[in-house]
Amino acid sequence: MIHHLTSPVNTVVSAEQDAAPVLVNVFLRGGADGLHLVPPVGDDACYRARPSIAVKKSDALRLDDMFGLHRDLAPLHPLYQSGELAIVHQCGTAEESRSHFEAEDYLHHGGFQGGGWLGRFLHQTRTPADGPLTAVSIGSAVSDSLRGAAAVSLRSLEEFTLPDKDPALRGQLAALYGKAGGALGLAGGQTLQALDRIEAVRKSTTGAKNGADYGADDFSSGLSLIARLIRAGIGLRAATIELGGWDSHFTQLTLTGGLMPRLARGLAAFHRDLGADLRRVHVVVMSEFGRRVAENVSIGTDHGRGGVMFVMGGGTPGGKIIADWPRSGLIASALEGPGDIPVRHATHHVLTPVLKRIRRDVDMSKVFPDLPKGELAV
Amino acid sequence: MKPSRLTRRSFFRLAGGAGALTLASCGRLKELASLLPIGPRPDELVPFIPPAGTGIDFITHALNRLSWGVAPGEYQRVAALAATPEDALRCYVEEQLSPEKIEDRYAHAALAPMEAIRQPVAELYECKPAQLNDELTRQAVIRAVHSRRQLFEVMVGFWTDHFNIDSSKTDCRWFKTVDDRSVIRPHALGSFRDLLKASALSPAMLFYLDGRANKKRKASEKPNENYARELLELHTLGVHGGYSQQDVMEAARCLTGWTVTGREVKNGLKDVAMGLVALTGNDTGGGIGRVKFEVEAHDDGAKTVLGTTIPSGGGKADLDQLLDIVATHPSTAEFIATKLCRHFIADNPPPSAVNAVAAAFHHSRGNIKHTLRSLFSTEEFAGARGTKIKRPFHFIVSALRATGANTSSGGGVQRSLRVMGHAPFQYPTPEGPAPDGASWLSTLLHRWDFAAHLTAGQLPCSKINASRLTECAGGRDGLLRHLFGRQPDSDELAEAAAVSDVTSLALASPAFQVF
Repeated sequence: MIHHLTSPVNTVVSAEQDAAPVLVNVFLRGGADGLHLVPPVGDDACYRARPSIAVKKSDALRLDDMFGLHRDLAPLHPLYQSGELAIVHQCGTAEESRSHFEAEDYLHHGGFQGGGWLGRFLHQTRTPADGPLTAVSIGSAVSDSLRGAAAVSLRSLEEFTLPDKDPALRGQLAALYGKAGGALGLAGGQTLQALDRIEAVRKSTTGAKNGADYGADDFSSGLSLIARLIRAGIGLRAATIELGGWDSHFTQLTLTGGLMPRLARGLAAFHRDLGADLRRVHVVVMSEFGRRVAENVSIGTDHGRGGVMFVMGGGTPGGKIIADWPRSGLIASALEGPGDIPVRHATHHVLTPVLKRIRRDVDMSKVFPDLPKGELAV
Repeated sequence: MKPSRLTRRSFFRLAGGAGALTLASCGRLKELASLLPIGPRPDELVPFIPPAGTGIDFITHALNRLSWGVAPGEYQRVAALAATPEDALRCYVEEQLSPEKIEDRYAHAALAPMEAIRQPVAELYECKPAQLNDELTRQAVIRAVHSRRQLFEVMVGFWTDHFNIDSSKTDCRWFKTVDDRSVIRPHALGSFRDLLKASALSPAMLFYLDGRANKKRKASEKPNENYARELLELHTLGVHGGYSQQDVMEAARCLTGWTVTGREVKNGLKDVAMGLVALTGNDTGGGIGRVKFEVEAHDDGAKTVLGTTIPSGGGKADLDQLLDIVATHPSTAEFIATKLCRHFIADNPPPSAVNAVAAAFHHSRGNIKHTLRSLFSTEEFAGARGTKIKRPFHFIVSALRATGANTSSGGGVQRSLRVMGHAPFQYPTPEGPAPDGASWLSTLLHRWDFAAHLTAGQLPCSKINASRLTECAGGRDGLLRHLFGRQPDSDELAEAAAVSDVTSLALASPAFQVF
């Protein structure tokens, strides 16, 4: 164990590693309103249920006869048109509590499971080249979806460093954490290895390419960091990033009006930054649930069920929206519980084809052990 | 629940509650306390005796769990409170459960320069949010580091997480400071029911979970469920506590009409038009932050919550009826007991301890002191030593305490807390920051960084005197015993022998990450 920790980490990149597929999971924390992001502009019932906040047809970019894309997401529209972006409506899980934390738990763990779905996927498809930067979470904590995989969280390359006043400190920490065992020992070892690789990335890469126009916000800088790690070819296989604040109980328009441009600008810049590399980078955007169809007294919406997901890059057959919309529109009898969109498409059925593109022979029953198999054409 | 033999817990109970016992066995308490230095200041460090066990002994364990970390001399002081470690713990618990009797001049003095957080509610909007946030954060750190009312401060942290409010959300920027001083602190060791009501009517909570906008003025209006759901899920019964979506909606109806006067804002005119913000000509002054019940916005029909019917016409009394139902529900006792046991005993708390603590909570009608006494007297508490991993805030505060640092909690401390995602009052979602240390393990690098900067004198606004500390602990070996709460093992000794800055390595080492 000690030997392993103190031995120099291989930072040489093989051609194989360089071209390896990467999954980027974007989590819209708080319950993003699918009806707002991708409004059913052809659904009169939806307009009746939301007299103040429904997205006007003139505020949406056409996707098909029923759906539009909110104009604040305009930077994503060309990706839809070029067939690199697929959209799925009425998405969700079997978890019906309408609790953020239960729904998020279920989503990240991939059912009532101990580990995370992405952690199980990485474990099943692991290679000898896997190292401390095989999976990263942007931010200050590792996403639950990565449980079971070696993963680190980081916010920027610059802050991921040890003070160099005492060159012996690294070796001493390696010795002490090597002996510690358990979760603490493991975390210590992974942190020390990650330090070495980050050092290499810092030296070998620069900022955005192809004129990518990232915003100044955390979401954009996180995506820009992920792109840099991908280009560095250090064996990154999965990255998670969050854009939170979608819990729009109150004055939904103000809230989403601030978030949607950040989401779209970040993803569009990421798309541009990666250029041809996007063929091996698979982006999935999801949230813990959608929101109630009818608006509440404070021109917001409460927790609901079916929401929306986006799949971008990685060869997704995009340029389409998958929905199983009720012919009547969202009238009361087409809804469930307190007035929510029934889940028609399981979240993991959207993830399944993506994971299969990354690794053809993946055993999905090990990634989502308890959940019924299936997949959508995205 | 009846014990079959005379356990420590049952003995404690038979002794007729702590009051009588305290007087009998803690006579030396007052005398000892008055002899101690006011606070752990580096220039006042005096020689002290660190623990000497090969493992974590009972006194160190109690201090690890009941305080924010062992300050120089504190082990020696508490060990001397009684003849046996068990009696010493009882004395320490009783001392700490009466924080108002603990002289705390140094912490008070350290807080004295702060002005914004003391502003009357009506004048808070005159303060800049950045200044309020800075002071609010600093007072939390300074109190945790320097206050001698340690168990009280630990419980303030516990309830702050339990009733989490993100002070960056809208008007919480001004009102979280009111929540801290008027909701969490006054009730942290009081009655859960009182705490719950204070929180329900806290201006910050009414903003944070949108209770202020929960209205029913006409049949077509649908209540805002946000607060009602978290009240059941996070504040009382817990998500598996046996409530339904229907209960959430009925609870939301009970709470319609409670609101708070906010500020007059230019782009809030839409809110005003919607009747969401009360705005009258005079409300820019004295009315601000006033919590009120708008009878015309209350749904006064009958409600049924968790099987209990609240008859129509209750008006503002619906709130108390609802809180009575949820506060006394058995699931609430179990939920709070589970969280307390997770906090003080183990991340996966033993059911036997949870049952005992839940019973104490239930029988005392949510008396927090009584509940804590029960917890600290369980055998499970005594047994689980050094098994929890510190969260980042705990790590930083315990490092400052252990080194006798003089800190204003500015610059460096706040930056470290932010980088690790554990700045107080900044957690965005209502479940609060993860309670278990394992969730925070990816912050190790930042902890090492903090330790190195603190000991090198490069952490802005926090200073320590490492050589004086080592001297007072009786040398290098004593320093390691002080920081680890036990004798260092042979590997730790070997690594420590090889460095010049032993304090930095000790604070960065695995032994200082656990408690």
